[in-house]
Amino acid sequence: MMLQDKDRIFTNLYGHQDWRLKAAMKRGDWDGTKDILAKGREWIIEEMKASGLRGRGGAGFPTGLKWSFMPKQSDGRPSYLVVNADEGEPGTCKDRDLMRHDPHKLIEGCLIAGFAMNAVAAYIYIRGEFVREAEVLDAAIEEARAKGFLGKNACGSGYDFDVFVHRGAGAYICGEETALIESLEGKKGQPRLKPPFPANVGVWGCPTTVNNVESIAVAPTILRRGASWFSGLGRPNNTGTKVFCISGHVNKPCNVEEEMGIPLKELIEKHAGGVRGGWDNLLAIIPGGSSVPLLPKSICDTVLMDFDSLREVQSGLGTAAVIVMDKSTDVVKAIARLSAFYKHESCGQCTPCREGTGWMWRVMERLVKGEAEKSEIDMLLDVSKQIEGHTICALGDAAAWPIQGLMRHFRGEVEARIDAYHAKAAAE
Amino acid sequence: MANLIEKLFSSPIFTWWNSATFGTRLYTSRKGVKVGEDKEGNIYYREKDGKRRWVIYKNGPIEASRVPAEWHGWLHYTVDTPPSEQPLPTKSWEKDHVPNLTGTAGAYVPPGSQRAGGQRAASSSDYEAWKP
Amino acid sequence: MPKLTIDGQEVEVAPGTTVLQACEEVGVEIPRFCYHERLSIAGNCRMCLVDMERSPKPIASCAMPVGEGMVIHTNTERVKKAREGVMEFLLINHPLDCPICDQGGECDLQDQAMAFGRSGNRYHENKRAVEDKYMGPLVETAMTRCIHCQRCVRFTEEVGGVEDMGALWRGEHTEITTYLDKVIESELSGNVIDLCPVGALTSKPYSFTARSWELKKTESVDVMDAVGSNIRVDARGNAVMRILPRLHEDVNEEWISDTTRFAYDGLKLRRLDTPYVKKGKSLEEAAWGDAFAAIKKKLKDVKGSEIAAVIGDLADMESMVALKDLLGGLGSKRIECRQDGTALEAGVRASYIMNTGIAGIEEADFLLLVGTNPRFEAPLVNARIRKATRKNGLKVANIGSAEDLTYKVDEFGDDATLLKKVLGGRHELSKALKAAAKPMIIVGQGALRRADGAQVLKAAHDIAEKYCVKEGWNGFNVLHTAAARVGGLDLGLTAKGGIEAIKADAEAGKLKVVFLLGADEFDTSALKDTFVVYLGTHGDEGVKNADVILPGAAYTEKSGTYVNTEGRVQRTAKAVFAPGDAREDWTILRALADVLEVKLGYNNLGELRARLVKLAPLAATLDTLVPAEWADFGAEGDVAEGGFGPAIGNFYLTNPVLRASKIMAECVEIREGNAEEATGTHG
Repeated sequence: MMLQDKDRIFTNLYGHQDWRLKAAMKRGDWDGTKDILAKGREWIIEEMKASGLRGRGGAGFPTGLKWSFMPKQSDGRPSYLVVNADEGEPGTCKDRDLMRHDPHKLIEGCLIAGFAMNAVAAYIYIRGEFVREAEVLDAAIEEARAKGFLGKNACGSGYDFDVFVHRGAGAYICGEETALIESLEGKKGQPRLKPPFPANVGVWGCPTTVNNVESIAVAPTILRRGASWFSGLGRPNNTGTKVFCISGHVNKPCNVEEEMGIPLKELIEKHAGGVRGGWDNLLAIIPGGSSVPLLPKSICDTVLMDFDSLREVQSGLGTAAVIVMDKSTDVVKAIARLSAFYKHESCGQCTPCREGTGWMWRVMERLVKGEAEKSEIDMLLDVSKQIEGHTICALGDAAAWPIQGLMRHFRGEVEARIDAYHAKAAAE
Repeated sequence: MANLIEKLFSSPIFTWWNSATFGTRLYTSRKGVKVGEDKEGNIYYREKDGKRRWVIYKNGPIEASRVPAEWHGWLHYTVDTPPSEQPLPTKSWEKDHVPNLTGTAGAYVPPGSQRAGGQRAASSSDYEAWKP
Repeated sequence: MPKLTIDGQEVEVAPGTTVLQACEEVGVEIPRFCYHERLSIAGNCRMCLVDMERSPKPIASCAMPVGEGMVIHTNTERVKKAREGVMEFLLINHPLDCPICDQGGECDLQDQAMAFGRSGNRYHENKRAVEDKYMGPLVETAMTRCIHCQRCVRFTEEVGGVEDMGALWRGEHTEITTYLDKVIESELSGNVIDLCPVGALTSKPYSFTARSWELKKTESVDVMDAVGSNIRVDARGNAVMRILPRLHEDVNEEWISDTTRFAYDGLKLRRLDTPYVKKGKSLEEAAWGDAFAAIKKKLKDVKGSEIAAVIGDLADMESMVALKDLLGGLGSKRIECRQDGTALEAGVRASYIMNTGIAGIEEADFLLLVGTNPRFEAPLVNARIRKATRKNGLKVANIGSAEDLTYKVDEFGDDATLLKKVLGGRHELSKALKAAAKPMIIVGQGALRRADGAQVLKAAHDIAEKYCVKEGWNGFNVLHTAAARVGGLDLGLTAKGGIEAIKADAEAGKLKVVFLLGADEFDTSALKDTFVVYLGTHGDEGVKNADVILPGAAYTEKSGTYVNTEGRVQRTAKAVFAPGDAREDWTILRALADVLEVKLGYNNLGELRARLVKLAPLAATLDTLVPAEWADFGAEGDVAEGGFGPAIGNFYLTNPVLRASKIMAECVEIREGNAEEATGTHG
């Protein structure tokens, strides 16, 4: 069953309407924001917890819980909200559309979230390549300021709050929250050690919460319509709606807001016009952006699109960027390309990721041609295990998983390629 | 006194290293059959039944390395026919036999050795002295 | 006090301790590369991973603070695999060129690969090669060997206070570099060599001259400045091959300055290795007996009052005692240890030492510098001040010329009369000093060398008495630049009128004979017509007008007692023999005394040291700080307007050893001279 239009949060996802304040208010943004704020911090956080919203940036950490980690009483340091708009995960393009077509949802969310965690300001760290989106955001913030929604006494709530846009310089790693903080501070984007967590020591050493664009943008609607409405959608522990980005070998690639837990097949058939050449032409799907393991067709037939279901099949929802590959795909080469991406984007700070990503990529490149021994497949998996969980941030894990997924489901393909290569070499 | 000691130490009666001992000479004259002579003039003997083989050095010290290779083979029972009867084949590049010169003035020193008049290589312990 | 369990052992540690430190406390060794006690935590090598119960992933023990009830395992299969994994990653792109690597034999990577690595190689791709970087004349680089632990980057930034090093690029292309092949402009740059766990940064002067295992290690003390850094002298045969720091928490921690580390080539250049006697106009080589006879001949008709002696900056207390006794036997008491003309007087010990101590800087909350530039006069004192400013928020103010000291300094101008204003009590500084709980004042030799140095000293004394001397806290400090000075003052080797009077009397012909004990830091042309006996190590200023030259032993060639600027008595050890005919200084004086028929009363070092302790009882207190009694000192009077001069000339050229050193000459050229030419393709 498809999500009904009345339950959609992002009603201007496709930009059919204007993004400006007037149109946004018509869509219901900035409606009763003052009343929401008047209900107090505790209420907002409790409501967010009750809604069961899990972070939309990939890790799926409960948003309400995250907000509650911020210090209730300031120790003299200000608190900050940082919005992670450094959307760089291959296959993901949801935040871009949200900011392009519905910036006021995000800005209102910033105010509410910032208020809930007693932040003095929000920084939207936007990916450098999103030039137009940054312009739209800047203009939207100006509009909100002019209306008195931001700045001193925001929305007449008696609370001072402002939002600033900071443009990144194009590094994937700056989407990692602590690297983003470093970059925001003007340093080289390298993840920080945790602990201390950003909620304790973040931007400029002050308590900070970093949230994904989507997590923040859905907050006002949840609070307006009530936690029970949101938690009524989807499945327990995987509630609400989610923007899915469907790309690859489908007839109509698109962003679409859907209920959590929708079957993957239904998502693709209904919204993306089906797989190119029909469902039977499907080879594999990466269900959550480049860093999660891929799924072969057999699993795609039945799997549901939410955090827990995908975890059960040893993959993940990630950013819900569905990359569809049909049978024309050289799946080994596709994963090798992802390895190249992670090798290129590793920050080089910690050993396993710096040295391991390059190693894995080089082996993958040989596997594409079959120029390897079969024992090297196990070695490659062993290397990926040596990276996974041993690094400062999750980029090491993200580099390891696609390869592990490939070997889990397409080991036969890789072995056949090695055999073919050796046979050819012997024939020559 | 010193003169006497010197005399004693060069006499074949009291020493065995200057020339063949008196006993060896006696034994040689009784049982020895001369087999041959090498280039240096050392004379090789054997018993009549061929059991023992020995050498009487010509002048100078008893020094095993004075035995050239071909006679060495015979002396150590490697071959039975003495080189005087069947000389070993020699190559054009073979050098004449030289006894071990260690301890003598003719001993080998590497080039660069101070004994060969060479310069000592620089060492980390060298220092540069101040000169007025 | 959190309690945690490490491999089944329960241990209670101070809060804020890291898991790695806690492990060390119970004797569990954790391998590490990036972690260093004195630097901030980077946590990037991932070698220190350990298992923590209830944690899905192994944790980096260097960065994880201990928590109540933590259960840590360091010997599980998972930890072993993690270590082997990290080790394998470190080695895949590390060249296995240990046989030609200077770090071989003392390499952390080598050692830990043996202990925690796995044998065999699974990496069949091409290894990475990285272009070597130019970092100046002291640090040699082989950047292919770099494992990106970033210790050097953190050191130069945090301890050195210069942001000259950093990492460029990212991922496997990360390169540690000084931006644009810049020289590391720190006086402590050599320490990155010790910090580097691999052979990426090695000592340029030492490169390929020796292997670590063939060196004889002698623990000694440095004399290049008045800090008395603890060093280890590594020698092979009769040559000092390198100098390394030795741990002393209260003095140099584990750093040493570049002059200390790299001066050793000066020990082999321009050395005096045979006695000289002036015959006619020129100096000629002589036997010891002839040299002594020449002195004896000259002294025959010289009265005691016509004899004087000047002590140099590198003299040990033993030779000072021997010279003092020799002069005493000849009827002279005119022996002067202040060749730089400082206004300090022997007597009140508190007036000429760092009463607070070097480690005491870390307790202070306010510091006033007067006429001193610690960055060059004593780099390790400066490093300590920087540490205190970073760690404890020490505030530093300066009266004197404004220099870059690598930390924030409130400049109040270069004018000595400010001292009187501060004393007046209405100045901004007076208020700051008053408000501070543990204020310090450091007076440099630049301030005390002025003509009115004694008045400046008095003003500093009064300020200290008013604000800095409290119950259990003496904030008055004098920063010396010469290793021998405090020892000389402890022995009371000062003469009326100081060095200027000696020069004047010599020019006036009132002095007939002057002994120079390695005194090279003053203009000896005044002694042109005086009979000068120079006892020293290098052909430097002192030999220019010498009539007899006696070759002595340098600090690595004798066991001598030195007192550092905080009054700490330390001893050097003999690492090598003095070159040629040179002898240890006190034995020369002892032999000369015999020729001159003066009875010194000691025949060996033990007896001499007994005599030393008699003259200066504190010399018996090895490596302890004895609090000096506070008293009045200095001279009443006005302080003239005007600034303070620098206490030392060029940092790299402060004594004969350094001036002889080619490495130091190169440093000077690059730091001060034509730096542009030296960068780029050099190295």
